Amino acid sequence: MSDFTVSRRKMLAGSAMLLASTAMPSLGWARTPKKGGRLVLAADSEPRNLNPAIVASNGVFFISSKIVETLAEASFDGKDGLAPRLAVSWEGAADGLSATFKLREGVKWHDGKPFTSADVAFSALQIWKPLQNLGRTVFKDLAAVDTPDDLTAVFKFAKPTPFQLIRNALPALSSVVPRHIYEVGKIEDNPANTAPIGTGPFKFGEYKAGQYYRLTKNTDYWGKDEPYLDEIIYQVLPDRTSAASALEAEEIQLAAFSAVPLADLDRISKVPGLKVITKGYEGLTYQLVVEINHRRKELADLKVRQAIAHAIDKDFVVKTVFLGYAATATGPVPKNDPQFYTADVPTYPFDVAKANALLDEAGYKKGADGNRFSLKLLPAPYFNETKQFGDYLRQALAAIGIDAQLVNNDSAAHIKAVYTDHAFDLAVGPPVFRGDPAISTTILVQSGIPDGVPFSNQGGYKNDALDALITKASETLDTSARTDLYKQFQKEVAADLPLINVAEWSFISVASDKVGNIANNPRWAVSNWADTYLES
Amino acid sequence: MSPLRRFLRTPEAVAGAILLGALAAMALSASLLFPGDPQAIAGPALLPPFQDWSLPLGTDRLGRDVLAELFHGARTSLAVGLAAAAAALAIGAVVGTLAGFADGLVDEVLMRVTDAFQTVPSFLLALAFVSVVGPSLGIVVIAIALGTWTGPARVARAEVLSIRERDYVANARAIGMHPLEIAFREVLPNALPPVLAMSSVIVAAAILTEAALSFLGLGDPNRVTWGGMIAEGRTVLRTAPFLSIVPGIALVLTVLGVYLAGEGIVETTAVKRGLS
Repeated sequence: MSDFTVSRRKMLAGSAMLLASTAMPSLGWARTPKKGGRLVLAADSEPRNLNPAIVASNGVFFISSKIVETLAEASFDGKDGLAPRLAVSWEGAADGLSATFKLREGVKWHDGKPFTSADVAFSALQIWKPLQNLGRTVFKDLAAVDTPDDLTAVFKFAKPTPFQLIRNALPALSSVVPRHIYEVGKIEDNPANTAPIGTGPFKFGEYKAGQYYRLTKNTDYWGKDEPYLDEIIYQVLPDRTSAASALEAEEIQLAAFSAVPLADLDRISKVPGLKVITKGYEGLTYQLVVEINHRRKELADLKVRQAIAHAIDKDFVVKTVFLGYAATATGPVPKNDPQFYTADVPTYPFDVAKANALLDEAGYKKGADGNRFSLKLLPAPYFNETKQFGDYLRQALAAIGIDAQLVNNDSAAHIKAVYTDHAFDLAVGPPVFRGDPAISTTILVQSGIPDGVPFSNQGGYKNDALDALITKASETLDTSARTDLYKQFQKEVAADLPLINVAEWSFISVASDKVGNIANNPRWAVSNWADTYLES
Repeated sequence: MSPLRRFLRTPEAVAGAILLGALAAMALSASLLFPGDPQAIAGPALLPPFQDWSLPLGTDRLGRDVLAELFHGARTSLAVGLAAAAAALAIGAVVGTLAGFADGLVDEVLMRVTDAFQTVPSFLLALAFVSVVGPSLGIVVIAIALGTWTGPARVARAEVLSIRERDYVANARAIGMHPLEIAFREVLPNALPPVLAMSSVIVAAAILTEAALSFLGLGDPNRVTWGGMIAEGRTVLRTAPFLSIVPGIALVLTVLGVYLAGEGIVETTAVKRGLS
């Protein structure tokens, strides 16, 4: 495991070099950013609501992060992994009851009105806390936001809230929207949700359903000389095979979020003028997880769960399903997380004989047809890879005498079947790790979550010790004590297997050589692209 | 000349029969030649065809044997095609006979129902049905039959309308046979030949519909189907085109075979009728 840490450091060092190379134009070999030009890129989905303060999801950020900015953005080399955006500094009080943000001076909304602390207070109290999918958990104890002056916002919490959590949540959860636009009428019905107004480097231009989104340069942007691009066009290409041909035909210059299928990458990397980039998604790690319905008596038995874990050849999955563009997982925190990951957890090496022995021990003997019992397996339909892993898992389970029957559903039906109706035995899900286990990871195993909450523990798993650990960690203010508790959390999850983490993956970008400053932060595809440029 | 010899004289009919025979042989021998689960992982992923003779047609993205999948897929295609066609013909013949024989209100109601089914494109009907009920082989068969029984129903009704005026029907009435008995024992068997002549078109359409449903991810995921194989191969179309081409060719040959053989039968019977 230690060699992985080394490789991660190497990778970070590599990215730092990359940053340095673009940040120091005085060096002869570095490229100087050029002004102007139109960047055309592939968009595979068309989110209806473009308000990132309400819908904190990558599909929305992909477009709206250029228009609406957050208080801080993720960074490879910044302190605590953050770079300032609308906030220039932040500090948490020792008692965990307040957090102070100093805001940037001279920032204007796209309609010319000045940006002030009142906008931050409004966004936090009226949108992040009550309406945002992720903010509901993170900001649940936010009681008030004081605004002593226009450039200071003080968040007051009713209960001690770890500042580490607030800090880690900033890049994804802190999109600030203008109070003067949103204070009239119902926030959910505001026209700015479909034509957003923000402070970002680009303004919303127009949206033609099924065709494109157009963003135009914000000439009043606070960043010096930024943005470089005049226009960004999101060309809607829902068919995954068309993005690769569009790149080759030079109709688009960028396909992010793995719009080019993994199997095509090898071929396309040899096309002159195009490059395949695996960096720039470190902050958006997806986890390939086998969700387990503990209401099934067989699956409530730890030995059966261990057997299933032993039956999965994680290396094969990474190599074949993900063609190497993924890493094997050991537990609920991905290996590339710099703060919380620990390799010191129970592991389940691929071992069919051991898996069979465990099932025999658990009392599930093979029947005459070679099967021990049957299960219903529901692979999530969102990614090709989750579907393919479903096919693989069926085979892996057949090898240990478990007959898995695949059930395919569309997205809506899958979410209903798994998270509301609990009509599954095993499901394959792709939850996202968002930089802190408390944001969207602990709810995967915590008990007492109401039915119907997607990407949460809907398998009926209940472990009082683990619940207590999660509660304790959510109240621990000291950063290192809190980190240790989450390391403990990883150990317990890996030991009791409420779910099985198989692999971790992120996305790949394919871009024309002309696009500069790509992948220079860990959430690049969903960052503001103020420094992205096009060479002529 | 016997009908068989006349059939064998038509070259396209012979070609069709050979293709169908090959397909049936594939379907029947699938379990013998490729025992076990055809979806089991058999080798390295994305092995091109003709590289390794233990896996002559190569492997797909998970390393499953394409040839084994092709054979087992023939089984699904043929089973679905035949079952759906049989169901469609059965429903159609019964509805058509009842409508034609009963006359009046029953005829009116049954034919309007038939109209209603005919106005909905059969593929959309199948698509809607499968997405509501959930994909499994039996459901797919019902879904396809739902959209194709109207043709046989109309033909059967037209045929029954002419047959019911014949003398032997009047005789049956005179000796006091129950109307339903007359309809199904005297009229239906005589109305069947033109209805059966439609079977080849229906089987071919059913095989294509099944493939299209699988292609859209609405086939039975626990079985190999050619449509499913094409859909899987589509994501790697540029790097491994054989994954889509191989099942695609199989599909084309099957539909062609069914159609040619059907044409041959129709022509043979038509000539026989003309001569007699």
